[in-house]
Amino acid sequence: MIDVVIIGAGPAGLGAAVAAAEHGLQVCVVDEFVKPGGRLLGQLHEEPDGKWVNGIEEAQKLYNQAIGLGVDIRCGISVYDLRKLENTWCVYTTDEMIESKCLLLATGASETPIPIPGWTLPGVMSIGAAQVMGNVHRVKPGEKGIIIGVNVLSVAIARELQLCGVHVESILLPQPGLLAGSAGNPEKMMESLLRLSHLAPSPLIRMGGKWVSPKLGARLFPKNGFKMWGIPIQLRKAALEILGDNQVEGVRMAEVSANGEVLPGTEKTVSADFVCIAGGLTPMAELASVAGCSFCYVPELGGHVPLHNEFMQTNLAGLYIAGNITGVESAKVARAQGKVAGLSMARELKALVYGGNEKLYAAVEEVTETRRNALIQFQPGIEEARKELHRKFDETYKQKLVSI
Amino acid sequence: MNSMRVNHHPVLGDLETHKEIKIYFDGQEYTAYEGDTIASALLASGVRTLRFHEDKETPRGIYCNIGHCFECRVKVDGKKTVRACLTSAENHMQIESCKALSASEVKGGTL
Amino acid sequence: MSEKPTIVCRCEEITMEEIQETIEQFHCSSREVKLRTRAGMGSCGGRTCRSVIDRLVEELGGATVSNEVPLSYRPPVRPVSFGVLGGAKE
Ligand SMILES: Cc1cc2nc3c(=O)[nH]c(=O)nc-3n(C[C@H](O)[C@H](O)[C@H](O)COP(=O)(O)OP(=O)(O)OC[C@H]3O[C@@H](n4cnc5c(N)ncnc54)[C@H](O)[C@@H]3O)c2cc1C
Ligand code: FES
Repeated sequence: MIDVVIIGAGPAGLGAAVAAAEHGLQVCVVDEFVKPGGRLLGQLHEEPDGKWVNGIEEAQKLYNQAIGLGVDIRCGISVYDLRKLENTWCVYTTDEMIESKCLLLATGASETPIPIPGWTLPGVMSIGAAQVMGNVHRVKPGEKGIIIGVNVLSVAIARELQLCGVHVESILLPQPGLLAGSAGNPEKMMESLLRLSHLAPSPLIRMGGKWVSPKLGARLFPKNGFKMWGIPIQLRKAALEILGDNQVEGVRMAEVSANGEVLPGTEKTVSADFVCIAGGLTPMAELASVAGCSFCYVPELGGHVPLHNEFMQTNLAGLYIAGNITGVESAKVARAQGKVAGLSMARELKALVYGGNEKLYAAVEEVTETRRNALIQFQPGIEEARKELHRKFDETYKQKLVSI
Repeated sequence: MNSMRVNHHPVLGDLETHKEIKIYFDGQEYTAYEGDTIASALLASGVRTLRFHEDKETPRGIYCNIGHCFECRVKVDGKKTVRACLTSAENHMQIESCKALSASEVKGGTL
Repeated sequence: MSEKPTIVCRCEEITMEEIQETIEQFHCSSREVKLRTRAGMGSCGGRTCRSVIDRLVEELGGATVSNEVPLSYRPPVRPVSFGVLGGAKE
C-alpha cells in the first residue's frame, strides 16, 4: 500500500508531495488535467518590482522537485469516488483503484457563473477558460472579447489576454438582478477592485485604495469607465444579453446608475467573437463531501469548505486537505498549505523525525506569513475567518484525533 | 491557417516548434500541434461548436476548459463522453460532435 | 429585461422561471429545488450552477444556507463508463 495519495497536482498537491517525499514517504499524485501544475499553469503576475512571475515555470520547478524525490505523478486521470476501509483509503480513478494510508484532497476551486441570456452560445466561456486557452495552450480564445464581471481575477486575466495579442473591448458588469447578485452591484465591485489597488497602474484605483470609500468610488466612477492597461473597466455599464445565431457575435449593453439600475434609452450592441464570464471562485469540495467530511459555510473563503484545522486535518482520520479546497486564496498560500499537509501526513505516519514538530509549526507560521504578503486577496477577512474555522474544529474534534 | 495561435508572447516567449499532426472532426481533417488538447486544436482552427444539446439541440462549445462543466464532451474513436478540454489530440484521432438524441433515446433515459 | 427565460442550469436547460417558481411555491432547500426541477442534476453534477442555485434559494426565501453542503454530492463525481465502474481498465 502506498503511504500517501494526493488528488490534484496544483501548487497545494505538489507542495505536499515534496514535503511528504522529503520525509521518505511513498507518494502518488493524480490529476485529470493533461499537465501537472493545476491553475498555477495559466498565471502571470507582475510583482511590485516589475518582475513577472510565470506560473508555468513555477509549476515546472515544483514538478521537477517532486519527480527528483521519486514522487509518482499521473496526469489525465480523474478520481470519481472514495471509500474508507478500516485504515485504508480506496481512491477510485478512471485508470485503477489506488489504496493509501493517508489521502490528501487538493482539488482547488471551480468558477462561479453569472447566468446571462445567451450564455450557452459557443464562444462564451469562463474567465479561467480563456486564461488556460491563451497562456497554457497558446491559442487565443478569440480576436475580440468582452468580459462580464468586474473583479480581481477578471482584471488580472484581461491583462494576460492582452499580452496574448487579444483585443479586450471592455470589462463590464452583468445586468443587475437576482441572477447576478452582488456581481451586478457597482459599489460592491468597486470594493473588490480596491483590493487590487497596489497592483493597479491606474491612479484612480491607486488613490481609491487609500482614500475613496467604495460608495463614493462607485458614484464618482466616470460614465465611460477608466482604463487599466488601455482596457476600459466599466462599472456603470451592464451586459444585458449575449447575441449570436450559432456562436457569439456581440453583446447588448446599457448604462446603469450607481446602485445598479439600467438607464432606459442607453442600450447599444457591441460586436465581439468571444465573451468571458467572471463570477468568482468557490472551493471544489465534492470529493470531501463524498468521503463524508463535516462542512462549514464561510463566505470569506468562497463558500462551503470541509471543516479542518491549521494542520490541514479533516474530521476523518487519515484525510487531509490543502489549497483552494480549504478556501480561495492565491497560489503561494496554496503551496504553503500543501507543505503543512505533507508534514502533517508524515507526522501521522511516524516519519517526522528529529525536530519534526518544529518544522510543522514553522510551516503553519509560513502559511500565515504568505497570506499576509499575498498580492491578490480574493475576499476580505480571510485570516479571521480561518481562525474561527480552526477554533470550531478544535472545539468539535480535538480529542478524537491523533494527539499532537 | 492557425492564426489563432499565440506564437509570440512578451513574457512567456515564442511558441516552441511543435510536430504537426492530423485530426478528424465530424469527418473533416484539421491540422493540430502535438501537445494540443482536442479543444485547443479545434479552436486554433476556428471551430467553436463541439456538440449540440441532447434535447434542445442548441450548439455548445467549451465553457470552463478545465474539466468541470462537461460542455465540451465529444466522441473519440467511438468512445462517448470524452472531455475535449482534458484530452490530448493524437495523430489520426477520429472525433465526432455529440448530436441531439432522438425522442426515444431521451425518454428511454439512456442519458 | 425579465430574468425569467434566462437559463441557469446549462446541462438541463432549466430557466430562472422554473427555479424561482419552485422556490416560491415550496420554500424549499437547494436539494429539493434540484430534485424538483433537475437543475444541477446534469452531466456536470451541479459544479457549474450549484452556487447560483444556493444563492437564489437564500435570496428568494427558501431554506437559509447551513453548514451542510446543500446539493450533496453522490459518487461518481465524474460520469464514468460501466466498464470503469466494474473495475475494468479502459
Ligand atoms: C480558473 C481559475 C483561474 C485562477 N487564476 C488565478 C490567478 O490568476 N491568480 C491567482 O493567484 N489565483 C488564481 N486562481 C486561484 C487558484 O485556484 C490558486 O492560485 C491555486 O492554483 C490553487 O491551488 P490548488 O493546488 O489548491 O488547486 P489547483 O491549482 O486548482 O489544482 C487542483 C488540481 O486538481 C485537479 N483535480 C480536481 N478534481 C479532480 C478529480 N476529481 N480527479 C483528478 N484531478 C482532479 C485539477 O485538475 C487541478 O489540476 C485561479 C483559479 C481558477 C479556478
Ligand atoms: S469545457 Fe468544461 S469540461 Fe471541458
